[in-house]
Amino acid sequence: MRSRKVLPRVINLAIFIILEIASLQLLSRNAQLQRLWLSKSVHGFMGTVWGSTQRVQGFFRLARTNRELSLENAALLKDLTAAREALRKVQTDSLRSGLADESGFIVIPAEVVKMSRGTQHNYLILNRGYEDGIQEKSGVITRNGVVGMIDAVSAHHAYAFSFQHADISISARLGQEGGTGLLVWDGTSSRGAILKEIPLQYKYNPGDTVFTSGHSLLFPPDIPLGVAGSSKIINGATNEISVTLFQDFSAIRYVSVVHNTAFDEIEEFVP
Amino acid sequence: MKKSGFWLIYLILLVAQLLLSTYANFSPYVMVTLLPVMVLCMPIRMDTLPAMLIAFASGLFVDLFSEGLLGLNALALVPVAYARYSIIRLIFGGELFAREEDFSIHRSGFWKVVVAILLSTTLFVAVYVWADGAGTRPFLFNAIRFAASLAVSTGLSLLVVDLLAPDSRK
Repeated sequence: MRSRKVLPRVINLAIFIILEIASLQLLSRNAQLQRLWLSKSVHGFMGTVWGSTQRVQGFFRLARTNRELSLENAALLKDLTAAREALRKVQTDSLRSGLADESGFIVIPAEVVKMSRGTQHNYLILNRGYEDGIQEKSGVITRNGVVGMIDAVSAHHAYAFSFQHADISISARLGQEGGTGLLVWDGTSSRGAILKEIPLQYKYNPGDTVFTSGHSLLFPPDIPLGVAGSSKIINGATNEISVTLFQDFSAIRYVSVVHNTAFDEIEEFVP
Repeated sequence: MKKSGFWLIYLILLVAQLLLSTYANFSPYVMVTLLPVMVLCMPIRMDTLPAMLIAFASGLFVDLFSEGLLGLNALALVPVAYARYSIIRLIFGGELFAREEDFSIHRSGFWKVVVAILLSTTLFVAVYVWADGAGTRPFLFNAIRFAASLAVSTGLSLLVVDLLAPDSRK
Protein backbone atom coordinates (compact mmCIF):
# COMPACT_ATOMS: atom_id res chain seq x y z
CA MET A 1 0.00 0.00 0.00
CA ARG A 2 2.77 2.38 1.00
CA SER A 3 4.84 1.52 -2.08
CA ARG A 4 1.84 2.50 -4.23
CA LYS A 5 2.12 6.03 -2.84
CA VAL A 6 5.92 6.22 -2.93
CA LEU A 7 6.48 4.94 -6.47
CA PRO A 8 4.61 7.77 -8.29
CA ARG A 9 6.47 10.33 -6.17
CA VAL A 10 9.82 8.81 -7.13
CA ILE A 11 8.81 8.74 -10.80
CA ASN A 12 7.63 12.38 -10.60
CA LEU A 13 10.91 13.41 -8.99
CA ALA A 14 12.93 11.54 -11.62
CA ILE A 15 10.97 13.12 -14.50
CA PHE A 16 11.30 16.53 -12.84
CA ILE A 17 15.10 16.15 -12.65
CA ILE A 18 15.28 14.90 -16.25
CA LEU A 19 13.21 17.84 -17.54
CA GLU A 20 15.32 20.35 -15.59
CA ILE A 21 18.56 18.83 -16.89
CA ALA A 22 17.13 18.94 -20.43
CA SER A 23 16.26 22.63 -19.96
CA LEU A 24 19.73 23.42 -18.62
CA GLN A 25 21.28 21.53 -21.52
CA LEU A 26 19.25 23.60 -23.99
CA LEU A 27 20.23 26.79 -22.18
CA SER A 28 23.93 25.96 -22.18
CA ARG A 29 23.90 25.03 -25.88
CA ASN A 30 22.21 28.25 -26.91
CA ALA A 31 23.71 30.89 -24.64
CA GLN A 32 27.43 31.52 -24.12
CA LEU A 33 26.93 33.25 -20.75
CA GLN A 34 24.79 30.43 -19.36
CA ARG A 35 27.29 27.85 -20.68
CA LEU A 36 30.15 29.50 -18.75
CA TRP A 37 28.00 29.83 -15.65
CA LEU A 38 26.97 26.16 -15.73
CA SER A 39 30.53 25.06 -16.51
CA LYS A 40 31.86 26.93 -13.47
CA SER A 41 29.11 25.53 -11.25
CA VAL A 42 29.91 21.99 -12.41
CA HIS A 43 33.63 22.52 -11.88
CA GLY A 44 32.99 23.85 -8.36
CA PHE A 45 30.79 20.84 -7.62
CA MET A 46 33.44 18.45 -8.96
CA GLY A 47 36.02 20.11 -6.75
CA THR A 48 33.87 19.63 -3.67
CA VAL A 49 33.06 15.99 -4.51
CA TRP A 50 36.64 15.03 -5.28
CA GLY A 51 37.88 16.91 -2.23
CA SER A 52 35.55 14.85 -0.01
CA THR A 53 36.65 11.50 -1.47
CA GLN A 54 40.25 12.62 -1.22
CA ARG A 55 39.83 13.31 2.53
CA VAL A 56 38.62 9.74 3.06
CA GLN A 57 41.46 8.29 1.00
CA GLY A 58 43.94 10.54 2.80
CA PHE A 59 42.91 9.13 6.16
CA PHE A 60 43.91 5.63 5.07
CA ARG A 61 47.30 6.63 3.74
CA LEU A 62 48.48 8.94 6.50
CA ALA A 63 51.65 6.96 7.16
CA ARG A 64 52.80 7.19 3.55
CA THR A 65 51.83 10.86 3.40
CA ASN A 66 53.88 11.62 6.52
CA ARG A 67 56.89 9.88 4.98
CA GLU A 68 56.50 11.87 1.76
CA LEU A 69 56.03 15.11 3.69
CA SER A 70 59.22 14.55 5.67
CA LEU A 71 61.13 14.02 2.41
CA GLU A 72 59.50 17.13 0.96
CA ASN A 73 60.41 19.10 4.09
CA ALA A 74 64.00 18.06 3.79
CA ALA A 75 64.13 19.12 0.15
CA LEU A 76 62.43 22.44 0.96
CA LEU A 77 64.83 23.12 3.80
CA LYS A 78 67.71 22.58 1.42
CA ASP A 79 66.13 24.96 -1.10
CA LEU A 80 65.43 27.51 1.63
CA THR A 81 69.05 27.57 2.68
CA ALA A 82 70.14 28.10 -0.90
CA ALA A 83 67.45 30.75 -1.40
CA ARG A 84 68.49 32.65 1.75
CA GLU A 85 72.04 32.72 0.51
CA ALA A 86 70.89 33.97 -2.91
CA LEU A 87 68.65 36.58 -1.28
CA ARG A 88 71.49 37.83 0.87
CA LYS A 89 73.57 38.35 -2.28
CA VAL A 90 70.72 40.10 -4.11
CA GLN A 91 70.02 42.42 -1.19
CA THR A 92 73.67 43.34 -1.05
CA ASP A 93 73.63 44.11 -4.80
CA SER A 94 70.34 46.04 -4.49
CA LEU A 95 71.69 48.19 -1.72
CA ARG A 96 74.63 48.97 -3.90
CA SER A 97 72.49 49.96 -6.90
CA GLY A 98 69.60 51.46 -4.90
CA LEU A 99 67.02 49.19 -6.61
CA ALA A 100 65.13 47.19 -3.98
CA ASP A 101 62.59 45.03 -5.85
CA GLU A 102 59.64 42.75 -5.08
CA SER A 103 58.27 39.98 -7.27
CA GLY A 104 54.65 41.25 -7.16
CA PHE A 105 53.25 37.72 -6.90
CA ILE A 106 51.31 36.12 -4.04
CA VAL A 107 52.34 32.48 -3.56
CA ILE A 108 49.96 29.97 -1.93
CA PRO A 109 50.94 26.29 -1.47
CA ALA A 110 48.33 23.69 -2.44
CA GLU A 111 47.93 19.98 -2.97
CA VAL A 112 46.55 18.30 -6.09
CA VAL A 113 43.51 16.22 -5.08
CA LYS A 114 42.50 15.14 -8.57
CA MET A 115 44.02 15.42 -12.02
CA SER A 116 43.39 13.96 -15.44
CA ARG A 117 46.16 12.99 -17.84
CA GLY A 118 44.51 10.81 -20.46
CA THR A 119 42.73 13.38 -22.61
CA GLN A 120 43.55 16.39 -24.76
CA HIS A 121 41.81 18.67 -22.21
CA ASN A 122 43.36 17.74 -18.90
CA TYR A 123 42.66 19.45 -15.60
CA LEU A 124 43.72 19.57 -11.95
CA ILE A 125 41.68 20.12 -8.82
CA LEU A 126 43.51 21.70 -5.88
CA ASN A 127 42.61 21.56 -2.19
CA ARG A 128 42.61 25.33 -1.78
CA GLY A 129 39.75 27.73 -2.63
CA TYR A 130 38.84 31.38 -2.32
CA GLU A 131 38.72 31.09 1.46
CA ASP A 132 42.44 30.31 1.26
CA GLY A 133 43.11 33.31 -0.97
CA ILE A 134 43.07 31.53 -4.34
CA GLN A 135 41.75 33.67 -7.19
CA GLU A 136 40.81 32.97 -10.77
CA LYS A 137 43.40 33.88 -13.40
CA SER A 138 46.27 32.64 -11.27
CA GLY A 139 49.14 30.39 -12.35
CA VAL A 140 50.00 26.97 -10.92
CA ILE A 141 53.70 26.12 -10.68
CA THR A 142 56.13 23.77 -9.02
CA ARG A 143 59.85 24.16 -8.64
CA ASN A 144 60.15 22.18 -11.89
CA GLY A 145 58.07 24.53 -13.99
CA VAL A 146 54.55 25.55 -14.92
CA VAL A 147 51.70 23.13 -14.26
CA GLY A 148 48.54 25.00 -15.24
CA MET A 149 46.25 27.96 -14.67
CA ILE A 150 43.25 28.44 -12.37
CA ASP A 151 39.88 28.60 -14.15
CA ALA A 152 37.28 28.36 -11.37
CA VAL A 153 37.36 28.60 -7.59
CA SER A 154 34.97 27.35 -4.91
CA ALA A 155 35.24 27.92 -1.16
CA HIS A 156 37.76 25.15 -0.53
CA HIS A 157 38.84 23.94 -3.98
CA ALA A 158 40.14 25.29 -7.26
CA TYR A 159 39.77 23.93 -10.78
CA ALA A 160 42.77 24.48 -13.06
CA PHE A 161 43.44 23.78 -16.69
CA SER A 162 46.56 21.62 -16.88
CA PHE A 163 49.45 22.68 -19.12
CA GLN A 164 48.59 19.39 -20.84
CA HIS A 165 45.45 20.98 -22.28
CA ALA A 166 45.06 21.57 -25.99
CA ASP A 167 43.99 25.21 -25.49
CA ILE A 168 46.76 26.28 -23.10
CA SER A 169 49.92 28.11 -24.16
CA ILE A 170 52.56 29.86 -22.08
CA SER A 171 54.78 32.75 -23.08
CA ALA A 172 58.33 31.35 -22.88
CA ARG A 173 61.84 32.59 -23.60
CA LEU A 174 64.74 30.65 -25.04
CA GLY A 175 67.79 31.07 -22.78
CA GLN A 176 68.40 34.16 -20.64
CA GLU A 177 68.16 36.64 -23.51
CA GLY A 178 66.84 34.65 -26.47
CA GLY A 179 63.65 34.89 -28.50
CA THR A 180 60.20 34.69 -26.97
CA GLY A 181 57.51 32.33 -28.21
CA LEU A 182 54.56 30.24 -27.16
CA LEU A 183 55.14 26.97 -25.32
CA VAL A 184 52.42 24.36 -25.80
CA TRP A 185 52.03 20.70 -24.87
CA ASP A 186 53.01 18.33 -27.68
CA GLY A 187 49.74 16.44 -27.08
CA THR A 188 51.28 13.00 -26.55
CA SER A 189 54.04 12.63 -23.95
CA SER A 190 54.09 13.58 -20.27
CA ARG A 191 57.27 15.70 -20.60
CA GLY A 192 57.08 16.86 -24.22
CA ALA A 193 56.33 20.41 -25.34
CA ILE A 194 56.82 22.62 -28.39
CA LEU A 195 58.14 26.18 -28.39
CA LYS A 196 56.55 27.99 -31.34
CA GLU A 197 57.04 31.28 -33.19
CA ILE A 198 60.72 31.84 -32.35
CA PRO A 199 62.08 34.34 -34.92
CA LEU A 200 64.85 32.91 -37.10
CA GLN A 201 67.41 35.57 -36.10
CA TYR A 202 67.61 34.16 -32.58
CA LYS A 203 70.27 31.46 -32.56
CA TYR A 204 70.22 28.71 -29.98
CA ASN A 205 71.91 25.43 -29.17
CA PRO A 206 70.14 22.19 -28.28
CA GLY A 207 70.38 21.93 -24.48
CA ASP A 208 69.61 25.60 -23.85
CA THR A 209 67.13 26.15 -21.00
CA VAL A 210 63.64 27.51 -21.69
CA PHE A 211 62.25 29.98 -19.10
CA THR A 212 58.93 31.76 -18.55
CA SER A 213 59.21 35.12 -20.30
CA GLY A 214 57.24 37.21 -17.79
CA HIS A 215 55.15 38.64 -20.67
CA SER A 216 52.17 36.65 -19.37
CA LEU A 217 50.52 38.17 -16.30
CA LEU A 218 49.97 34.72 -14.82
CA PHE A 219 53.53 33.56 -14.21
CA PRO A 220 56.62 35.23 -12.79
CA PRO A 221 59.56 35.51 -15.22
CA ASP A 222 62.59 33.21 -15.27
CA ILE A 223 60.97 29.98 -14.05
CA PRO A 224 62.98 27.17 -15.73
CA LEU A 225 60.57 25.08 -17.80
CA GLY A 226 62.67 22.62 -19.76
CA VAL A 227 65.50 22.00 -22.21
CA ALA A 228 65.43 22.83 -25.92
CA GLY A 229 65.91 20.01 -28.40
CA SER A 230 65.66 19.76 -32.17
CA SER A 231 64.04 22.44 -34.31
CA LYS A 232 62.37 22.92 -37.65
CA ILE A 233 61.60 26.01 -39.72
CA ILE A 234 57.90 26.80 -40.21
CA ASN A 235 56.83 28.64 -43.41
CA GLY A 236 60.38 30.00 -43.76
CA ALA A 237 59.65 32.55 -41.03
CA THR A 238 59.91 31.06 -37.55
CA ASN A 239 61.52 28.20 -35.68
CA GLU A 240 59.56 25.50 -33.89
CA ILE A 241 61.63 23.86 -31.18
CA SER A 242 60.88 20.67 -29.28
CA VAL A 243 61.30 21.01 -25.52
CA THR A 244 61.75 18.37 -22.84
CA LEU A 245 60.04 19.69 -19.69
CA PHE A 246 61.63 19.48 -16.25
CA GLN A 247 58.23 18.74 -14.76
CA ASP A 248 57.07 15.15 -14.97
CA PHE A 249 53.27 15.40 -15.09
CA SER A 250 52.86 11.83 -13.86
CA ALA A 251 54.33 12.81 -10.47
CA ILE A 252 52.66 16.05 -9.41
CA ARG A 253 51.34 16.39 -5.90
CA TYR A 254 52.39 19.63 -4.23
CA VAL A 255 52.10 22.86 -6.20
CA SER A 256 52.17 26.60 -5.61
CA VAL A 257 49.47 28.95 -6.86
CA VAL A 258 50.88 32.32 -7.94
CA HIS A 259 48.75 35.40 -8.44
CA ASN A 260 49.97 38.67 -9.88
CA THR A 261 48.93 41.44 -7.47
CA ALA A 262 48.89 43.93 -10.35
CA PHE A 263 46.81 41.67 -12.63
CA ASP A 264 43.58 43.70 -12.57
CA GLU A 265 45.40 47.00 -12.87
CA ILE A 266 47.37 45.86 -15.93
CA GLU A 267 44.30 44.19 -17.49
CA GLU A 268 42.54 47.57 -17.53
CA PHE A 269 45.07 48.76 -20.14
CA VAL A 270 44.24 45.88 -22.45
CA PRO A 271 41.28 46.66 -24.73
CA MET B 1 -15.53 24.00 -17.18
CA LYS B 2 -15.33 21.36 -19.88
CA LYS B 3 -11.82 20.07 -20.53
CA SER B 4 -11.84 21.15 -24.18
CA GLY B 5 -12.85 24.68 -23.13
CA PHE B 6 -9.95 24.88 -20.69
CA TRP B 7 -7.36 23.73 -23.22
CA LEU B 8 -8.66 26.16 -25.86
CA ILE B 9 -8.23 29.04 -23.41
CA TYR B 10 -4.83 27.60 -22.41
CA LEU B 11 -3.69 27.68 -26.05
CA ILE B 12 -4.98 31.24 -26.54
CA LEU B 13 -3.13 32.37 -23.40
CA LEU B 14 0.00 30.59 -24.61
CA VAL B 15 -0.12 32.66 -27.80
CA ALA B 16 -0.80 35.75 -25.67
CA GLN B 17 2.30 34.92 -23.59
CA LEU B 18 4.29 34.57 -26.80
CA LEU B 19 3.21 38.07 -27.85
CA LEU B 20 3.99 39.43 -24.36
CA SER B 21 7.48 37.86 -24.40
CA THR B 22 8.19 39.28 -27.85
CA TYR B 23 6.66 42.74 -27.68
CA ALA B 24 6.19 43.66 -24.00
CA ASN B 25 9.85 44.33 -23.19
CA PHE B 26 9.33 47.68 -21.49
CA SER B 27 12.30 47.53 -19.19
CA PRO B 28 15.14 45.14 -18.30
CA TYR B 29 13.70 45.15 -14.77
CA VAL B 30 10.30 43.76 -15.75
CA MET B 31 9.48 40.36 -17.21
CA VAL B 32 5.78 39.65 -17.71
CA THR B 33 4.55 36.06 -17.48
CA LEU B 34 1.20 34.27 -17.41
CA LEU B 35 2.71 30.80 -17.54
CA PRO B 36 2.67 30.02 -13.76
CA VAL B 37 -1.06 30.76 -13.39
CA MET B 38 -1.80 28.70 -16.51
CA VAL B 39 -0.03 25.70 -14.97
CA LEU B 40 -1.61 26.30 -11.55
CA CYS B 41 -5.11 26.29 -13.06
CA MET B 42 -4.71 22.98 -14.91
CA PRO B 43 -7.57 20.56 -14.04
CA ILE B 44 -7.07 19.05 -10.61
CA ARG B 45 -7.54 15.54 -12.01
CA MET B 46 -4.38 15.97 -14.08
CA ASP B 47 -1.45 14.34 -12.26
CA THR B 48 1.92 15.96 -11.68
CA LEU B 49 3.67 13.94 -14.39
CA PRO B 50 1.54 15.06 -17.38
CA ALA B 51 1.40 18.57 -15.88
CA MET B 52 5.23 18.72 -15.88
CA LEU B 53 5.40 17.47 -19.48
CA ILE B 54 2.84 20.06 -20.63
CA ALA B 55 4.66 22.78 -18.67
CA PHE B 56 7.96 21.78 -20.30
CA ALA B 57 6.37 21.83 -23.76
CA SER B 58 4.67 25.18 -23.08
CA GLY B 59 7.92 26.73 -21.87
CA LEU B 60 9.77 25.42 -24.93
CA PHE B 61 7.03 26.72 -27.23
CA VAL B 62 7.41 30.25 -25.81
CA ASP B 63 11.21 30.00 -25.87
CA LEU B 64 11.25 28.80 -29.46
CA PHE B 65 9.01 31.45 -30.93
CA SER B 66 9.91 34.46 -28.79
CA GLU B 67 13.26 36.27 -28.62
CA GLY B 68 14.37 34.70 -25.32
CA LEU B 69 16.90 32.00 -24.48
CA LEU B 70 15.90 28.49 -25.51
CA GLY B 71 15.19 26.47 -22.35
CA LEU B 72 14.76 29.38 -19.92
CA ASN B 73 10.96 29.38 -19.63
CA ALA B 74 10.93 25.57 -19.60
CA LEU B 75 13.51 25.54 -16.78
CA ALA B 76 11.41 27.92 -14.67
CA LEU B 77 7.97 26.43 -15.44
CA VAL B 78 8.63 22.75 -14.68
CA PRO B 79 9.19 23.44 -10.92
CA VAL B 80 5.79 25.20 -10.83
CA ALA B 81 4.12 22.09 -12.27
CA TYR B 82 6.08 19.91 -9.84
CA ALA B 83 4.97 22.01 -6.85
CA ARG B 84 1.38 22.58 -8.13
CA TYR B 85 -0.32 19.94 -5.96
CA SER B 86 1.63 21.06 -2.87
CA ILE B 87 0.61 24.70 -3.42
CA ILE B 88 -3.06 23.77 -3.92
CA ARG B 89 -3.05 21.49 -0.86
CA LEU B 90 -1.32 24.17 1.25
CA ILE B 91 -3.66 27.02 0.26
CA PHE B 92 -7.01 25.36 -0.46
CA GLY B 93 -6.75 22.20 1.68
CA GLY B 94 -7.13 18.54 0.72
CA GLU B 95 -10.91 18.66 0.15
CA LEU B 96 -10.47 19.80 -3.45
CA PHE B 97 -8.69 16.53 -4.20
CA ALA B 98 -11.36 14.46 -2.46
CA ARG B 99 -14.13 16.22 -4.43
CA GLU B 100 -11.97 16.43 -7.57
CA GLU B 101 -13.12 20.03 -7.85
CA ASP B 102 -11.05 22.82 -9.41
CA PHE B 103 -10.55 26.01 -7.39
CA SER B 104 -12.04 29.36 -8.41
CA ILE B 105 -12.22 32.86 -6.95
CA HIS B 106 -15.91 32.51 -6.09
CA ARG B 107 -15.67 29.08 -4.45
CA SER B 108 -12.25 29.34 -2.78
CA GLY B 109 -12.07 33.05 -1.97
CA PHE B 110 -10.19 35.91 -3.61
CA TRP B 111 -7.28 36.09 -1.18
CA LYS B 112 -6.57 32.36 -1.26
CA VAL B 113 -6.33 32.52 -5.06
CA VAL B 114 -4.06 35.57 -4.80
CA VAL B 115 -1.71 33.72 -2.43
CA ALA B 116 -1.66 30.62 -4.68
CA ILE B 117 -0.83 32.73 -7.74
CA LEU B 118 1.78 34.65 -5.76
CA LEU B 119 3.49 31.40 -4.64
CA SER B 120 3.59 29.84 -8.11
CA THR B 121 4.72 33.10 -9.75
CA THR B 122 7.40 33.56 -7.07
CA LEU B 123 8.80 30.12 -7.85
CA PHE B 124 8.80 30.81 -11.59
CA VAL B 125 10.29 34.33 -11.41
CA ALA B 126 12.98 33.29 -8.89
CA VAL B 127 14.29 30.52 -11.15
CA TYR B 128 13.92 32.68 -14.28
CA VAL B 129 15.83 35.69 -12.88
CA TRP B 130 18.51 33.46 -11.33
CA ALA B 131 19.18 31.51 -14.55
CA ASP B 132 18.86 34.53 -16.85
CA GLY B 133 21.42 36.44 -14.79
CA ALA B 134 23.85 33.50 -14.87
CA GLY B 135 25.71 34.84 -11.84
CA THR B 136 26.83 37.96 -13.70
CA ARG B 137 24.29 40.53 -12.52
CA PRO B 138 24.50 42.33 -9.17
CA PHE B 139 22.19 41.22 -6.37
CA LEU B 140 20.35 44.55 -6.33
CA PHE B 141 19.49 44.30 -10.03
CA ASN B 142 18.18 40.74 -9.56
CA ALA B 143 16.20 41.74 -6.47
CA ILE B 144 14.51 44.70 -8.22
CA ARG B 145 13.82 42.59 -11.31
CA PHE B 146 12.36 39.83 -9.16
CA ALA B 147 10.06 42.18 -7.20
CA ALA B 148 8.90 44.17 -10.25
CA SER B 149 8.27 41.06 -12.37
CA LEU B 150 6.44 39.36 -9.51
CA ALA B 151 4.16 42.36 -8.94
CA VAL B 152 3.30 42.88 -12.63
CA SER B 153 2.87 39.17 -13.42
CA THR B 154 0.71 38.50 -10.35
CA GLY B 155 -1.53 41.47 -11.23
CA LEU B 156 -1.92 40.30 -14.81
CA SER B 157 -2.53 36.70 -13.69
CA LEU B 158 -5.42 37.86 -11.51
CA LEU B 159 -7.04 39.33 -14.61
CA VAL B 160 -6.91 36.02 -16.49
CA VAL B 161 -7.45 33.53 -13.64
CA ASP B 162 -11.23 33.79 -13.98
CA LEU B 163 -10.93 32.62 -17.60
CA LEU B 164 -8.98 29.52 -16.60
CA ALA B 165 -10.78 28.69 -13.33
CA PRO B 166 -14.36 30.03 -13.64
CA ASP B 167 -17.07 29.32 -11.09
CA SER B 168 -19.31 26.62 -12.59
CA ARG B 169 -22.22 27.76 -10.39
CA LYS B 170 -22.21 31.30 -11.79
